[in-house]
Amino acid sequence: MHVVIINGSPRVPKYSNTEKIISSFAKGLSEKNVTFETYAISNRKTWDIIRDAYIKNEEILIALPLYVECVPGLLLEFLETLPQKDEHTRLSFLLQSGFAEGCQLRCGEAFLEKLPKYLGVRYGGCLVKGGNFGIRILDEEKQAQATKPYQAMGRLFAEGDGFFREEAKKFTGPEYYPLPIRLITGLIFKILAKKMFQKAAASWGCQVPLDEKVWEIKEFNDFPKK
Amino acid sequence: MVLIIDTTTKHIGKRIAEELLRSGKNAAGFEVIDTTGMHISHCVGCNYCWLKTPGVCAIQDDYEPILRKMSSADQVWLVSDTHFGFVSWQTKNIVDRIMPLVTMYLKFKDRQMRHVMRYHHQPDIGIIYTGEGDQAYLERWCQRTALNLGSRSLGVFSESSKKEAVSCML
Repeated sequence: MHVVIINGSPRVPKYSNTEKIISSFAKGLSEKNVTFETYAISNRKTWDIIRDAYIKNEEILIALPLYVECVPGLLLEFLETLPQKDEHTRLSFLLQSGFAEGCQLRCGEAFLEKLPKYLGVRYGGCLVKGGNFGIRILDEEKQAQATKPYQAMGRLFAEGDGFFREEAKKFTGPEYYPLPIRLITGLIFKILAKKMFQKAAASWGCQVPLDEKVWEIKEFNDFPKK
Repeated sequence: MVLIIDTTTKHIGKRIAEELLRSGKNAAGFEVIDTTGMHISHCVGCNYCWLKTPGVCAIQDDYEPILRKMSSADQVWLVSDTHFGFVSWQTKNIVDRIMPLVTMYLKFKDRQMRHVMRYHHQPDIGIIYTGEGDQAYLERWCQRTALNLGSRSLGVFSESSKKEAVSCML
């Protein structure tokens, strides 16, 4: 098997969480002697090359971050440039997000399930996983830890059944967090996470509160709360 | 205020506005933004609007005035062509870049993690589309998008049902 892996993130690979995930996933492919080539759509100048790889190969995997419940606008634009192919080509997806629960990614997954039909190709399943927001800001060792589970998914994909196996479905984790976890996490958000985010922001040069109302036009905030 | 953001190649926003005027029911006022000729980039996912310049997008193009209007509108109607049964990439770019309206802070609402809104007021969202839109999917996506803004979906209407859409406008 030879897989064309397309990073559908608008971020340049250096800062892309999806890219880190792809690296780990590809290690799993290599362990099973599956070869691959990787591309990233963030640089429009490479779109002709990526499209050519899409046309010439039959095993395509698009890895992407969830952007407002679906595919990022830039990836949609790229997808519109792809020609129709036939069912000899299989198109699979790896959909990742910042929000951790499975339920957050289902709307995006539903779009991806139907997309191959529009392109005339076969659907190879969608690996769905949240909780990836901070990967790019971790040091190398922690990045490796955070993305290691994707290596196992690379090995699984190498076996040829796309992402239809039970292991791939379980990989998502909980659809919703149970109430005790929500209560504890909610408390952490209120107390610790705010300080943590503010600290991270300070390291990026931010000098204002993260909930700053920059357009503090009086009437905006005079609206009754919904 | 009703804000109609038209990215369609047929510029149907104008006709929707005419229909709204004819209906004589628009008390809240409206504005049509036709994005033809505007430079509106895709979201690059830099997270600056959350962590470096909270509430401000790092991309300097024609988008910010639109976002300001979206933020103060009562209703935002996305008027879009469709591809793959979904909104066009031009409309998706407009939606992807609403991130300055939410903060990095998180909370649980209705069992799900959500971002805390930056402003108290959020617009409700509706879609009017041309072409072969996947009605059921667009409705689902519109509801989820509104959920992200802490608001509600106004519904999804094909171009031929624009009168129904207009009847939902303020």
